[in-house]
Amino acid sequence: MIAVSDYEAELERIDRDIAALAPDDVAQATALLSLRCQRASLTGDLAALPAVEGEIDAALAEYGTWPDLCVVKAGVASTLHRVADARRALELAPGVAEHLPGRAMLADLDREEGRYEEALRGYEAALRDEPAWDTYARLADLTSKLGDADAAGDLFAAAVDELTAKQMRSYAWVELQWGRMELRRGRHDDGADHYARASAAYTGWWLVDEHVAQLLAARGELETAAALYKDLAARVPKPELQHAAGDTNAALGRPERARPFHDRALAAYRASAERGEVHYLHHLADACTDAAEAVRWARRDLELRPNAYTRAALAWALHRAGRSGEALDAIEGALASPLRDARLYGKAATIHRAAGRLAESDDYERRAAALH
Amino acid sequence: MADHNDPNAVNSIFSDIDVSAADLYDIFGFPIEDTTGGEKVYIALTFAPVPEAGVFDTDMLYRLRMHAHARPVPPSRRDWSLDALLKYFDAVKDKYLGDFKPAEIRVTVGGDQRARVSFKGFPGGSFDAVVDLDRVTTIDSPDGHAIKAFLGGRDDAFFNDLPGFFRSINYAPQFYHVPHSMTEARELPIPKTLLELEGNHLFNFDPANPNLGRGEKKPLPPGPWTWEGDRFAKDADGNYRFVYSGEDAQAGRNINAIALEIPLEFITRSPAEERIVSTWGESWVLKAANKIETIPDNPFWLEKPLTAIRTGRPDDELERYKLVDTDGQPFADAGLSEREDNRQLGANNFFLAPHFVKRLAHLGWGFGPSIGALGLKSSFDHDDAPVSVHRTYASAVTAFPRARKVIFQALNMPDDSWNPKGLNIPPRRPFEIFVPNVCAIDMDTTGSWPYGRRLEDQVATRFLSLFLDHEAELNGKPVNVETLGDQALWDAAPIVPKSPPNPLRNDKEFLAEFPYLAEPW
Repeated sequence: MIAVSDYEAELERIDRDIAALAPDDVAQATALLSLRCQRASLTGDLAALPAVEGEIDAALAEYGTWPDLCVVKAGVASTLHRVADARRALELAPGVAEHLPGRAMLADLDREEGRYEEALRGYEAALRDEPAWDTYARLADLTSKLGDADAAGDLFAAAVDELTAKQMRSYAWVELQWGRMELRRGRHDDGADHYARASAAYTGWWLVDEHVAQLLAARGELETAAALYKDLAARVPKPELQHAAGDTNAALGRPERARPFHDRALAAYRASAERGEVHYLHHLADACTDAAEAVRWARRDLELRPNAYTRAALAWALHRAGRSGEALDAIEGALASPLRDARLYGKAATIHRAAGRLAESDDYERRAAALH
Repeated sequence: MADHNDPNAVNSIFSDIDVSAADLYDIFGFPIEDTTGGEKVYIALTFAPVPEAGVFDTDMLYRLRMHAHARPVPPSRRDWSLDALLKYFDAVKDKYLGDFKPAEIRVTVGGDQRARVSFKGFPGGSFDAVVDLDRVTTIDSPDGHAIKAFLGGRDDAFFNDLPGFFRSINYAPQFYHVPHSMTEARELPIPKTLLELEGNHLFNFDPANPNLGRGEKKPLPPGPWTWEGDRFAKDADGNYRFVYSGEDAQAGRNINAIALEIPLEFITRSPAEERIVSTWGESWVLKAANKIETIPDNPFWLEKPLTAIRTGRPDDELERYKLVDTDGQPFADAGLSEREDNRQLGANNFFLAPHFVKRLAHLGWGFGPSIGALGLKSSFDHDDAPVSVHRTYASAVTAFPRARKVIFQALNMPDDSWNPKGLNIPPRRPFEIFVPNVCAIDMDTTGSWPYGRRLEDQVATRFLSLFLDHEAELNGKPVNVETLGDQALWDAAPIVPKSPPNPLRNDKEFLAEFPYLAEPW
C-alpha cells in the first residue's frame, strides 16, 4: 500500500465530498461552495475562486442571504483583496458581523484598510466572546507587526493550545505563521523548529515547503532554496512561487535561469489584472520592469487597500522610478502607521539613502536591525 | 437528549458539524442488587460511536470521576428561600473549589485498539490495566478487588422522543437548516410548550411533512420567529395535540461505552458511612501539539539539528488534552445549560446557579400552562396563564419567586420499590439533583433516578415531572416522577396522540448481567 500524505488524503476527502453533494437546499449548497473554496485554498489555486464566487452569487439569488453563504462570499472577496466587496458581503445578512467568524473577518478588513487599532480591538472583543484559535492567530500576527513579538508568541501559543488532534492542518498553519514571525526577527532556528512541527503535523503540504524555501533562502542556502522553489512552482499553480524561484536564481547570479520563472510570474499577474482581478497588484508592482507601470499598479492597490504595506509598495515603486521626493512622502505615510516592521524600515532606509538623507537612513537601518 | 449533541462544539444537529467521539451521551449508575462478596456499584459512560461502535478514537481520553460521601442531612425546617438556595450553592462551591480530589478512572485507546484503563486516587492506590475492547474483563486491583470492565460498542440505552423534546422547546436546528453562526435562531422566541400552540406553523406537526425534524429539514423561513396566538391548538374533536409522539428516536442506534462494576470498598474505606457515590464523566481530546510527538519527523528534517519538539508543561497527562464535554445529570446540558461550550463544567457547575434559576423560570412559563390545560397542577407559579408564555429573565432574583417550588419541592417516587431497605432516606429535590452536575448514586436504594440512574429509567418523562406539583394528588395518588408516564392519564385527557411523552422502554432488552447494556445492532 502506498502511504499518502495528510495533504493528499484531505484533498481526496474533499473531492469525494464535493462529488457526493447534489445540493437541493441552501445548507447543502453552502457546504458544497465552502468545500470548493477550501479546495482552492488548500491547493493554492486562487484562479478557481472567481468561478466559485459566481456560483455563490447564484445561490444567494436563489436562496436569499443565508448567513453562512455570506461568510463564504466575504471570505472569497477577502482572499482576492476586494475589501469593500468583503465588507458588503458581511453586511448582507443581519448579525453575521456580530459573531465569529464574521466578527474576526471584519477586523481583518479593518487591518487591510490600515485601521490597525480598530482591528486590534475587533480581535480582542471577538476573543472575549469566544477563545477561537484563528482569532488568537490573527491577533498574534498583528501584535507581532505592531512590534511586540513576545506578546505575539504568547498569543500563538494560545492559538496552538486551542487546537486538537482533529485540526492538524490548522495547527500546522499556526506553526507556519509563528515560524514566519521568528524568521522576521532573524531567529532562524526558532523558525525552523516551528516549520518542523508543521511538517510533522500535516505531511505533504506545499505551504510548508514554501515556508521552508523562504527559510533556506534567509539562511543563505540558496541552491537548496532554488531547487525547492522550482519543485513548488511545478506543482502549485501560484505565480508567486514562479516569482520566488526567479528571485532565488537571480540572487545566485543566474539571470538566464531566473528569466523564465519571472516571465511566467509576470504573465500570470498581468493576465489576472486584465481579468479585472486585484489580488496580484502588489506582486505586479514589484515584478514589472517598467517603473511607471509599477507605480500605476501600486497606486491602484493603495486605492483599494490603504494600509502601511501598500503605501510602502508605492514608495518602493516610486523609488524605482527615480521619483525620490514622492517616494519619501509615500514611505513616511507607511511609517506613520503604528506598525513596527523590519521590512518597512529596510525600505525606508533605502529610500532615504537614495534621497541623500543619510542620517535618517542609518536610523531606519538601526530600527530594522533592532527588530531582528 | 440526556446529553446527546452537546456542547455545541460537537452538536451534530448542525449540518456543518460531524458526529464526534467527544460527544458524551449518558452516564448511568446504580448499586448492584447482588451483594455477594460485598457491595458493588455499576457506572457506565456512553458516547458517540466514532469511528464506529466497538472501535474507539485513539485521540480521546475519557474520565469517570467519582467520590463517595455520606448522605446529606436534610434541613430541619422547610426553608424555600433564595437565601437558603444561595447558601447551598456556596457550600457546593466551597467543596469543589477546596481540596477536593475525587478518584478517577481514565481510558485511552492505542492504535492496536487495546484500552489503557488507569485507576487514580482510590484508597488502595493507583494502577493501570490494559484490556481488549468489546469483551467483559475482570481487572484485579493491587489490594485484591475485582473490577468488571466492558469497553466497546453497544445499543444506545437512551430511549426518548428527541424530536418531541425539540418541538417542545422550539429548537430550530432540529427542523430547519440553521447556520451555526446564527446563534439567535436556535431556541426561537416562541413559548416552550407541551401542547401545540394554535398557529405555531414553525413547529406544529404537519401531516404533509410527517418526517420534518425526524431526519428531514426545511430552509428556515425568514423571521420574525415569534408567536402571536393566544391559545393552545385543538382539533375538530376538541383535543389538544401533544408535542411528543412517544416514539423512540434512538431505536436501532449504537453507542460506544465504558461500563464498570466496582466494589464499593474499592471506592471508599468507609462504605458503611459513605453511602453516596457521586460520579460524572468527561471527554478530552488530544491537543494538536501533542499529537505530533507520535508522528515521525519528515525525513527532510532528519538532516537538520532541530531542537526537541515542544512538550509543553510538565508530564501531567491531562495537560496534553482539551476538555470538550461533561456528563452528570440527564438534561443538565440540553435542558438547563443550553449546550453552551463554556458551560461544560461537570461537577463544578455551581457558577451556573443563577442561570439555573432563570432557565427553570423560563421553562416554567412554557410548561406550566400546558400542564394546567391538562388538568394537572404545576409547581411553577404562572398566574394561571391559560396558554404558554415566552418569558426570559435577566435576574435570578426576579425569576426565583416563580420557580421556588420547582427548585425546592421534594420529588415523589411512584412507590417504595426504590427504597428496598425501607430506610429514612430524604426525597431528592431539583436544586440538589442538578447542582453539582453529578450522578449521585445512593447505595441504599435501587439507584432509580434521581437516586442514581438505572438503564430502564425514563429520565425525560421524569425530568418533565419537575414542573408538576408533587404536593398534589392525581386519582387519589400523590403526583410523582412517573405520573406523566401513566397511560391512564393520557387516556382520560383531551389530547392526541394518547401516549406518554416518551417510550416507556428501550428498543432492545437490557441484559440480566454485566455489562447490562444491550448488544449492538
